[in-house]
Amino acid sequence: MKKGRIFGIFAALAALVSAPAMAQNGQSVALNGDVMVVKTINEDGAEPRTELVEPDLVVPGDRLLFRTNYENTSAELVENFVVTNPLSSAVQLAPDTSGDQVVSVDGGKNFGALSALTVTEESGTVRSALASDVTHLRWTLASLEPGESGQITFYAIVR
Amino acid sequence: MKNARRTYSVLTAALAVPFFATPVLAGGVPAGTLIENTAKATYDAGDGPETIDSNTVVLRVDELLDVAVASLNAGPVATSSGGAVLTYSVTNTGNGPEAFTLTVNPAVGGNDFDPTVDGIAVDTNGNGVYDPGVDDILTSPETTEILDPDEALTVFVLLSVPPAAVDEDEAQVDLLAEAVTGTGTPGTTFAGAGVDGGDAIVGPDGADDNALGTIIVGITTVDLVKSAIVRDPFGGTSVVPGSVIQYTIRADVTGSGSVDDLLITDPIPTDTTYVLTSLTLDSGALTDAADGDAGEASDAAGITVDLGTVNGGTSHSITFDVTVDQ
Repeated sequence: MKKGRIFGIFAALAALVSAPAMAQNGQSVALNGDVMVVKTINEDGAEPRTELVEPDLVVPGDRLLFRTNYENTSAELVENFVVTNPLSSAVQLAPDTSGDQVVSVDGGKNFGALSALTVTEESGTVRSALASDVTHLRWTLASLEPGESGQITFYAIVR
Repeated sequence: MKNARRTYSVLTAALAVPFFATPVLAGGVPAGTLIENTAKATYDAGDGPETIDSNTVVLRVDELLDVAVASLNAGPVATSSGGAVLTYSVTNTGNGPEAFTLTVNPAVGGNDFDPTVDGIAVDTNGNGVYDPGVDDILTSPETTEILDPDEALTVFVLLSVPPAAVDEDEAQVDLLAEAVTGTGTPGTTFAGAGVDGGDAIVGPDGADDNALGTIIVGITTVDLVKSAIVRDPFGGTSVVPGSVIQYTIRADVTGSGSVDDLLITDPIPTDTTYVLTSLTLDSGALTDAADGDAGEASDAAGITVDLGTVNGGTSHSITFDVTVDQ
């Protein structure tokens, strides 16, 4: 029991020693993404329900769930953690996305809440940005404690 | 500082990913399109700014099978003679290249008669009008060429009207297009049959579609009735040298349709001579010369009156005079 705790302390020390090397390799945080198809199941006499299935078959109109898992794998505090996700031109952000989602509608030049952004049409008229205008999504976390992990997700529709 | 500059350049590279407008297609993004997603993170660790990319997830868009067929005729197509042509469009509303098998059904319920299908032709020269000898007639099994997503093909169904059909009979003709890869209930999947070895899946409309066109029979007949009035030089009606004969030709056009290029000709009888400027149409004088009016007349060539297009239910009357030779 006592021996085990000593080993634990040594392990923590080792982590502290190796942390600067990890940081130099840009490995303080691990990002790992996947995608699922949101399939709507309609059964007689039941409310339609959705389930996530592997994306073996994807056609226009399908709703996709993009997930990115993050984890601070270092022993250091990570600050100003900003995840930016360019959106494939083959999909559009789901129209039911929150207006508070921080996005870009100009190829990543400017970011802001979707509900606060505008788009200038070729004719010169300015209108509110739509989910279908979004080119990039962004999430910002002030800090990640060592070992802290989480998941960010968004829904998109195949154009 | 060095790190900061590196971060900046990485972000710039990310922004420089070509952002092109996806073409708006009825059937969505083309089959075979790869949807790639990579998240990027920037953050400050103990030693300053760092960036990291996630793994890239890649999806391939599968092929949706869908087609739309529409009649391109504004209304029933009038057919005056034995043949008629109905025009349809076949549009690939799926997202992958696909050919379609065409089937014509001329025996639609409620038809006054069932036309005979002489063939299916495609608008090879793209002018929207069937050109015999120019537009290719499909051979059995009638199948279109491979249509790209959103590509539309104009198809002609060549019909003939059986002799039993009477004036004002109508018949509907159904054109069905079915995806060659397969049809079925929406969601039916054909594994590996799509673009680039992907799957093909039956779209919301079942990968087949049909449309009706209508022909209406307008049988129009022309009856010509010729009569003569004789005035002899003595006040009587005998045909003697010097008598003047006035011929009347009445053209009665009957039926619901119309006739085109109706040309009335009549030679001057032998041993008679045409009376100059005696030609009339519906009581109006016509000059003898070949000019702007509808008629011309001469002793040698006889009389010719071009009535052009004449609708059913109308009549025209032509008169001319001759004198009996001495």
